[in-house]
Amino acid sequence: MRMKASVRNVAIGLSSAIFLLTTLIFAGTIGQIDWLSIGMGDYVLETEDPIWLIESIGVTWHLGTDALSFPMIWLTTLLIPISMLVQWDAKDGHSFHSLLLIMEGALIGVFVSLDLFVFYVFWELTLVPMFFLIMIWGGEDRKYASMKFFIYTFTASVLMLVGILVMYFNTATDPNFAGTLTGHHFNLVLMTEQSRVDGLITSEGLRHLVWLLLLIGFATKMPSVPVHTWLPDAHVQAPTAGSMLLAGVMLKMGAYGFLRVAVAMFPESTLTFVPLLVFLGMASLVYGAVVCLGQTNLKRMVAYSSVSHMGLIFLGIATMQPLGFAGALFMMFAHGIISPLLFAVAGSFKHHYHTLEIGSMRGIAHHSPFLAGHMMLGWMGSLGLPLLAGFVAEVAIMIAFWMTFGWWVLLPALTLIFTALYYLTSMQKMIFESDDPHVGILPDTMHGEEPRDVTWHENAGMFVLGALTILFGILPFIFWDMMSAWSTDFIQTYLVHAMNMLEASP
Amino acid sequence: MGEQQNQEWNLLFPLIPAIAIVPILAIAGIEPIDLGFAAIAAPLAMFPVVLIVGQLWNGNETWVSRFKEGGVLALSALSVSLVAGLWMVLDFLGAGEKKAHGDPLTWLDFDVLGHDGTQWTIDTGFTNISFGIWLDPISAMLLFVATFLCFLICWFAIGYMTTDDINSNRNHRFFAEFILFSMGMFGMVLADSFLWLFIFWEIMGLCSYLLIGFYYWKESAAAAAKKAFMTTRVGDVFLMVGLLMLYDIYGSLDFSVVFDNPSTGVGDAPVKASELQPALLMLFIGCVGKSAQFPLHVWLPDAMEGPTPVSALIHAATMVNAGLYLVARMVPFVDVGYYGVAGMEDLGIIIAWIGGVTAFMAASIAFVQNDIKKVLAYSTMSQLAYIFLGLGSALYLISTGHRYEGLFVLGGALFHLFNHAMAKGMLFMASGSVIHEMHHAHHELHHHQEHDDHHDEHFDAQDMRYMGGLASKMPVTSIAMMLGSMSIIGIPLIGGFWSKEAIIAETWLGALEYEPLLLGPAILAVMTAGMTGFYMSRMWMMTFAGEPKHEAASHVHEETLWIKTPLITLSVVTATTGALLAFFHIGEFLSGKDYSLGLDDFEVARALQIAFLPEKQALMAVGYITIVLSTFVGPIIAMKVHGGRLSEGQEANAAVSWLVGLSGSFKKIDVSGMASSSLSESLRNRLHFDDLYAWGISKTIVPMAKFSAWFDANVIDGIVKLVERTSIQGSHWIRSYTTGSTRDYILMAAVGALSIFVLIVGVTV
Repeated sequence: MRMKASVRNVAIGLSSAIFLLTTLIFAGTIGQIDWLSIGMGDYVLETEDPIWLIESIGVTWHLGTDALSFPMIWLTTLLIPISMLVQWDAKDGHSFHSLLLIMEGALIGVFVSLDLFVFYVFWELTLVPMFFLIMIWGGEDRKYASMKFFIYTFTASVLMLVGILVMYFNTATDPNFAGTLTGHHFNLVLMTEQSRVDGLITSEGLRHLVWLLLLIGFATKMPSVPVHTWLPDAHVQAPTAGSMLLAGVMLKMGAYGFLRVAVAMFPESTLTFVPLLVFLGMASLVYGAVVCLGQTNLKRMVAYSSVSHMGLIFLGIATMQPLGFAGALFMMFAHGIISPLLFAVAGSFKHHYHTLEIGSMRGIAHHSPFLAGHMMLGWMGSLGLPLLAGFVAEVAIMIAFWMTFGWWVLLPALTLIFTALYYLTSMQKMIFESDDPHVGILPDTMHGEEPRDVTWHENAGMFVLGALTILFGILPFIFWDMMSAWSTDFIQTYLVHAMNMLEASP
Repeated sequence: MGEQQNQEWNLLFPLIPAIAIVPILAIAGIEPIDLGFAAIAAPLAMFPVVLIVGQLWNGNETWVSRFKEGGVLALSALSVSLVAGLWMVLDFLGAGEKKAHGDPLTWLDFDVLGHDGTQWTIDTGFTNISFGIWLDPISAMLLFVATFLCFLICWFAIGYMTTDDINSNRNHRFFAEFILFSMGMFGMVLADSFLWLFIFWEIMGLCSYLLIGFYYWKESAAAAAKKAFMTTRVGDVFLMVGLLMLYDIYGSLDFSVVFDNPSTGVGDAPVKASELQPALLMLFIGCVGKSAQFPLHVWLPDAMEGPTPVSALIHAATMVNAGLYLVARMVPFVDVGYYGVAGMEDLGIIIAWIGGVTAFMAASIAFVQNDIKKVLAYSTMSQLAYIFLGLGSALYLISTGHRYEGLFVLGGALFHLFNHAMAKGMLFMASGSVIHEMHHAHHELHHHQEHDDHHDEHFDAQDMRYMGGLASKMPVTSIAMMLGSMSIIGIPLIGGFWSKEAIIAETWLGALEYEPLLLGPAILAVMTAGMTGFYMSRMWMMTFAGEPKHEAASHVHEETLWIKTPLITLSVVTATTGALLAFFHIGEFLSGKDYSLGLDDFEVARALQIAFLPEKQALMAVGYITIVLSTFVGPIIAMKVHGGRLSEGQEANAAVSWLVGLSGSFKKIDVSGMASSSLSESLRNRLHFDDLYAWGISKTIVPMAKFSAWFDANVIDGIVKLVERTSIQGSHWIRSYTTGSTRDYILMAAVGALSIFVLIVGVTV
């Protein structure tokens, strides 16, 4: 029994140590890395002599990070201890917190693998702990939600795997991989280099097909309309920590993979399909926001708002401007801090008031002032209030969008009104409007229980996230500078050439 | 009571070190312009302190009595800003330069992909968004207004908020949000780029939202807060689009880049009016939302749900001026005599029309309001519209090359902004004083009587129909309110008179000499002047003259020192602005050759001349008609309807007794027939704009949201569910062949073998 209780101490100690490690790496204390001069294709902390994993087909253990993946890694290592903290009192904590550690490993694996095979393995591995988190610690309908989550995203990933395999069979022979049976390799660095110099797949039709297969896999993960419906179900049923990681990091895997694999390997296809990207982005953004307005379940609303914000990432990429790319990258990061805060708020609300219906509980400001404060801050961050992290990304994407698409920017801009409307409506019905200054309107699900504020550990977790939302809103350049430098290099090296080629051949 | 109040002065000791901070910084060698950072940082740093300490020490004895639940801390932070602001303004005026620009800090660095005609390249010249402090006459004036009023109103709020039981244990929230708002206002005024202006603009919007919803349990307050945020958000989105367009034109949003030469954009390309004008119109939509102009005006009256100090500060004196400030910033764009872009006359005309229509509409709605704060809210809307009218005329005149007249009316408009902010801040505080005392008197009355019979539930401390005769009970408040009203009405030689006269005269000049389209707003402006005289006098008469109309009104006490001090200070400012103008040549102080307050040559002689003896006969007629309407016609009608002597034995202060006596000397007229007409009914319903918007939203957004939620659950997810069901059924179907019976398996094996045989035969033959 005592050992069971100490497991969570070990888990949070371990994950905090990892967080400290990544922070020190970022600060330059470990590794002395100059983050501002990393281009696309240069990796730091790269494995020097990749180890063979499956020699016959050319799979190696090859890791590295750059300005695209590092903020995500830092975010992962940050969110793990915080989500542990928020659910410090989880039932069967020993297995709960251990699953979160497995999750951490899988997520970091996705961001650091430079071997597409290993990348895919980690990609699918993330499903396993999340599946169990939802299945065991989820809400009433957890069975259905966990199955749907698993099968839906798995199916899409399989299509992506087909794309990866086609790419694999088109890789050129490389002296390092001479010993393999097929003569091909999964090495992402070599593939990217090959695609930059010669193009990875010569046939244009096949290239487009592979690009679309990859898009299906990544867009489902993001998720983008119309392949988004697994997300609300999964979020509503998932435990708080699960939701925080799902929204905070797992969704970003889609955007990360899209940039690293689809855009980098097939710039021409990306340019060809820019209208599709804009359509998907707009659809997610506008439609997601309108659907949010019609939700009555708090977690469902927050989940759809994630869909809506992920749309902005596609829009940022579609601008093909360094500013838009950097905005998309910063959106991945900012949403990675804000949306866990939103889910922590929703989770704590459910924890104390046993309901998620908007409007069933009124006057949180009176009974749970700290919860109300966190909610206010999170909601404001998500609706893009200046000096909070989300605004930086939003304004960067908007400026870039205007530069490329002109008046179309009115659509995302007007969506901001809807975003504000659903957030404000939900606050009005939850924090405010209790009719009486000294007592709120309590939901039936309380069954006479005394309303109370959030517990210390929930409060601490949300406090850290809220403080970071403010910190990165006021000082965005902490991560922005490296993202901006990387975006410039990426576009310069991979996309400008393709753009000029496309222009030359009408 | 008095002794206890005297002891409360001790609470102000923390202000002494706070006030000393700025001089120490200055002596330590900080450039005066960089003190702007201190002005912004002080309230920003104090915000979390007040909020968190207040939450943790909630109800603590020391926190309540010594710190006034954070009020004293907030006041100290604001005193830092006040001293910094004054220091900066005085240094700026002393230096005699046109503008001061601190070294900007880089915020976001990025590159731009561009097409150079033959191919795509990335412009390696680093572009960035930075933050710095910018001070020119316009921002210097607003900085003074903002720091001065934030300080005074915070002072007032300590007296107003902490004496009401319902606020206890919540006041830390009030003061924290109050100083966060102040930070936003100082930041907006001092920011050196349009983007930062927008950032602080939104922070103010957030604080406005939070403070309107301060009484969060009230449904009306929660709804009003949401309405205010949403309505201004609509404007803000357009403002943001305008910023994007400006960015695209100039490649930067910094004032120093944009205003250096507004006629050349990025890469020295000439700027076309057809591109710039839509951008400026987009910015103007944002201003319309923030400054509550038609058609985005609906939020301001509802915003009165907030505590009265909030109405005084945010919804009268500072935040609503943000829109005016941004419009005033547009002048360099149109200044054809000075690097401006030609061909943007329409901008000024549109702004002038919006101003004229709003001024008239708001004044007419103010006629029928009985809530003292609502009258002031509509009055605010109407006066802000005057300023828009003046700015619109200025933009028009400057863009058509009439720089002298244009700058004159620009100066008049900005001077009206100053006068209005001072007078309206004071009027709201005075109304707060009245409400506060009415509320307490009613409370005490209720307490004393303790009778079981029906207590009047309908009593509303803000309703003027329950007031009357307060002139004898509240001398300071009544004088303050009289002076404020005079300034707003434009009684000759007091505050707002000078500026309003300048706006009206120059708009008429523009209308008669250059552009007939300006005639509409010009006529509306003159009519509104008379209406202003009526509704402001009506408010004063209903409140202070006549006999008490409710028991509570005869039991009010005088105000506390916390409340009196700012009233007296602002009374002096309002009463002496005209004199300052005359004797100290404030115009010369505030003038500068470029977009200064524009008070070039704005000396008293010129001011008097424009008011009383303009060059043109027509303008003279307009000027005198305005004076007659606003000074005599409006107030006299108001006195005839609502005036009256005080009750027997009550004496008003000498400064106002003449007015009370005058109001009682007119023959009364009865307007009850008019009050029940359909016109006044629809005015009471605010001309049905709110109903129209509510109806529009309920017919569009609500069904759309419901449909989308249904569509997502039943069509998009329905397809997914269909796939699920089909595959489950498919597996059931397949499973049904797994019967477990040997006979079936043999049959299946036979069929399989046969089909393989057929296939082989088919392939080989």
